[in-house]
Parts: sequence; structure tokens; C-alpha cells
Amino acid sequence: MPSRSAGRLLHGLGLLAVFAVTVFPTYWMVSSSFKTQSDLLASPPVWLFTPTLANYADVFADQKVVNAVVNSLIVAVFSTGLSVLLGTPAAFALARYDFRGKSDLWFWFISNRFVSPIVLALPIYILARNLGLLDTHLVLILVYITFILPIVIWIATDQFRSIPKELEEAARLEGASQFAIFWRIYLPLGLPGIAVSAIFGFIFSWNELLYALVLTRRDVQTAPVVATSFMSGYELPWGKIMATGTVIVLPVTIFALLVSRHMVRGLTMGATK
Amino acid sequence: MSYLRLERIEKRFGPVSIIRGVDIAAEKGEFVVFVGPSGCGKSTLLRMIAGLEEVSGGDVYIDGARVTQTEPAKRQVSMVFQSYALFPHMSVRENIAFGLKMAKVPRAEIDRQVAEAARILQMEPLLDRRPRQLSGGQRQRVAIGRAIVRHPKLFLFDEPLSNLDAELRAQMRVEIARLHRELGVTMVYVTHDQVEAMTLADRIVVLRGGVVEQIGAPQDLYDRPANTFVAGFIGSPKMNFLKGRLESADAAGVTVGHPALAAPLRVARHGTAAALVPGAEVTLGLRPEHLALEGGGARIGLTADLSESLGGSTLIHGQTRTGETVSLQVPGRRMLGKGETFSVGFDPAQAYLFDADGRAL
Repeated sequence: MPSRSAGRLLHGLGLLAVFAVTVFPTYWMVSSSFKTQSDLLASPPVWLFTPTLANYADVFADQKVVNAVVNSLIVAVFSTGLSVLLGTPAAFALARYDFRGKSDLWFWFISNRFVSPIVLALPIYILARNLGLLDTHLVLILVYITFILPIVIWIATDQFRSIPKELEEAARLEGASQFAIFWRIYLPLGLPGIAVSAIFGFIFSWNELLYALVLTRRDVQTAPVVATSFMSGYELPWGKIMATGTVIVLPVTIFALLVSRHMVRGLTMGATK
Repeated sequence: MSYLRLERIEKRFGPVSIIRGVDIAAEKGEFVVFVGPSGCGKSTLLRMIAGLEEVSGGDVYIDGARVTQTEPAKRQVSMVFQSYALFPHMSVRENIAFGLKMAKVPRAEIDRQVAEAARILQMEPLLDRRPRQLSGGQRQRVAIGRAIVRHPKLFLFDEPLSNLDAELRAQMRVEIARLHRELGVTMVYVTHDQVEAMTLADRIVVLRGGVVEQIGAPQDLYDRPANTFVAGFIGSPKMNFLKGRLESADAAGVTVGHPALAAPLRVARHGTAAALVPGAEVTLGLRPEHLALEGGGARIGLTADLSESLGGSTLIHGQTRTGETVSLQVPGRRMLGKGETFSVGFDPAQAYLFDADGRAL
């Protein structure tokens, strides 16, 4: 059937286009990080080359890059961790209790994200300066929590709502306290959603550039800030930029892979018929 | 004083009344079944005993103590849910041990109790499995296991068998009856299935629209239903109802006429309904299993509609001259063709009579 094979061809071409747009830049970044400067600047581009680790040696010799990765890790781990710690009990309350102002609170969490980050950059800068928090890990962690916490609350609330109410009732009858119900029933069963929100949060704080640029100077520059700092000379060290990029992407990828094990669907299967 | 007592229990959701003044008492060790059509409030009533639902009016007493405002956990009741409500991330062992762990029972004692429950329910090989690795019947067993380890004062079952297939349901029914006999505890069981109610109950509570229609032993409800609702609900196949006229009445009995009856029917009175006026409308109730093709002291003329063979017996549906449907169950295979006329006989002593409001006469 010609129409069917034509359909397949279009399907294949579409996939190829998506693949090229999504995967090729990553491939180019990683492969470029193993090239020498002359291979990098060659025109037409070289596809086969002798790989070199010189760029990575350069990157890790640069204390600034190493510090930046450490700073990024500290900020991402704490902002994500604290958001999960604060967000999951809030989500439990939103999912299972009725209280005054519940829907307003819910809307407030969503509406937080309506505001463009740049609008708040200046007020937050002034606030941080007056509090003496500029160029500290704390200020970035606090700012990032305001972004990540709503994500955690949305996703976890939705996840908690999908847990059958009978499980909570059964636990109550068995003598479980509210905290035990949250800790022993909701948290383990909500893990897939919590993992997703943690991944989003981690990626957000790892990649965030605007506030990191505005609120840090030298001591706590994060990886994205340092990556941009290479782009200011007369000669662009492409190899080093690409190697830094690869180093920056790596931790997020590893984190996402580790956490995604918990994203198994159908975890609640078998609870109720 | 009764072991479980519900006094003038009411439940309202805003302006809507779900339970309207229910009084029920159960003795220690009794098996009480709440039965009724969906929406009659039987599950709500059970949940109020458990404390999962707030009571809008009236009081709940368990073992002499008023528990109306008591936390569910402190009422010492266990509940088996229709959906089982097993914790999916825990093994069978952890599911059963959950309540004991919450009560901070020592580890060795928990192990002993779990082993005991597993023995009673014959599920020792399943202890390390997860709920999703179990069949419906096995999950049900775990849910029961979780209920019995805590040695509650009261067992509550909320339609526990309705998710099972017919064969397994019959099997679990027997098992629940055995469990009740072995443990000797008070059980309250909710179902919409009158067969479960008849076979399991020491006493049945028939509910409709949030009020108790009748309370009694299964045989009493079958023999002396208080009204047409109970009469129609208890017994399978359902009782036949024929609208007739009262011809005469005295202290011992009444005489009823119906176009399908060969001769007016003389029936003894069970109920204590008020004055009976000749000419008043009455409802004659006849159970399908009490009708026969041959014999009987009274006869009704019918036109055959449909015959269903059940293997060992046949269910025949027919119509009277007045268009009322009458079903009867007869032994053997007696297939009647549509439109065939026939007559059925019955013993007048087995006929039921109800007044125009449906109350037993």
C-alpha cells in the first residue's frame, strides 16, 4: 500500500527532525569537548578526529569551574531537599483536609509562577543586599525554594489525591496518628510524584542563571554563571566551554537517572481492587 | 445491656438526611447483618460505628461505653473494606502487623500474633508477598487477617465479598461464618446481597431510605416480614405480589378476592394492623417456591410468559388476567410455551397479606 509506506516515511522523517533538534546539540557539545582548538575551528566541520582530554584537564585545573560545580551542588541539593521537606506535608494537608482558604492558598501557589522572574530580580537584589546575604549560598537557596516549593506542592498534592481514601481510613482504624499516616502511607506511595518534582526542582536550580548572576559575585558563583564568564574574551576557548558544559550537564543527568527509578507507575496497584 | 447499641442515630449532609433515627442493639458474639438496596445508608451506619463518619444525632455505645465522639482507633473496632484497603507498599506480614506496630506491641509478640492469624486464615506461604501479587480472595484474607490480630471488640465488614466472583464469594462466605464461630466475636456485616444476609446472620437489620424496616432472625424475616419491602427483599426469587380486595375480616383471619383466584381466599392473620374494612385494597404475597403446578388449597390461573431452566429446577414466569406477573420455582424441567395457560396451587397458610400501605396484616 503506497499511502501506508508514504505515511511511514513521513513518520520517520518527523522522528529524524525531532532527534536532530534534541539530540544533536548534546552530541555536538560532548564531541567538541574532546576536540583540539584547530579541529573545532575547521571548516567544513571535522567528524572524525583524534580525541583529546586536554580541555577537561583545563577545566579541572581551573579552580573557578570546580568551585562553581560545588556551589551549584550545594545550592541545588539544599533548595530541592528543603522544598521536598516543606512541600510534602503541605501537599498532604491540601490533598486530605478541608480548611478555610484552601482554594485561595492553592491559587496562590499557582499564581506565584505567573510573575516573570526578571520583575522580582531588583527587589530581591535590594532585599538581599540590605540583609547582607549577597554572594551567599543561603540567598540562592531561599530564592530557589520559592520557585521549587510550588512545583513540589502541585505535583505531590495531585499524587496524594490519587491515593485511595480507604488506605487512610484503614490506617486510622489501626491506630495510626496523622503523622504516621503521612510518613508510612502517603510518603512511600507518593514517591513517584515526589521524585518527579525533585527532578524538576534540581534541574531548575542547577540551570538557573538570572538570579545566580544578579545575587552572586565571586564566592558562590554557580556553574551556569561560570560557563557564561568564558564568553567574554577576544578568543573564545570553545573546547573549554564545551567541556564545562558537559561537566555541568552530567550531575543533573545522573541525579535524574537515580531518582527516576522511583517513578514507576502503578505503585498503588494492589491496594484496592 | 447490649454490647453494641445505636440510639436514635442520625446523619445529615447539609439539608439531606441520610440516616433518620436508627435504633439497633447487638449482643456480644452476635453476627448482625445490615442489608438493603444501595443508598439505604447501611455503609454510612457502619462507618459511624467505626468512627470514620461523624454522627449528626444520637449515640453509639460499644461494650457499655459511649463512643460517639471517640477517635476511631480508640474504639477497638476492626474493619474490612470492600476494596480491601491493603497497604500496597508493604508485604502481607507488614500489612497484618501494622496495627500492632502502631500500638507499640513488642516485636516477638507481633511475630506470634501474625503467625497465629496466618494459621487461622491458612496464608502462611503468602506472608512475604506484596498485595499486588495476590488474587482477590487472598487479598480479602489478608484484610481479615489485619482485622483479627488486634483482637477488636467489634468486627465491621463493609460489603467484603462484592469484588469477588460467584464461586469465591460462596467460599469466603463459608469462611467468614467459620471465623465467627471460631473467634466468637461480635460482627457487623453490610451487604446488599440477601443470600449473604440469610446465610451469615444471627440477626438481620433491613434498611431502606435511612430507616430500619425490620430487625429479626433470618427465618423470622422470611416467615413474618413486616411489610412488602422486607417481603420482597428477603427471599430469592423475589416474592410475587397480587393486588386484591378484602371481602370480610374477623379476629382469626380475612377473606381476600382477586380476579385470578378460582375462589376467595381465607388467610390467617399475622400482623396487628388496625381495623379492616371490607372492600379495602390488600396485597397478597406469594413466594415462588411455595407455588406448585399440582395440588394446593387455592389456585390461580396464569398465562405462561417465559420458562428458565436452572438445571435441577425451572423458573416459570406467567401473568394473571389482570396483567400482574407471577413467578414460580418448580422442581425438574417443566418448560411451558409462551401463551400457554396453566394454573398454580398453594397452601393458604403460606400466603402473606399486606394492607394498602404495605404493612403486614
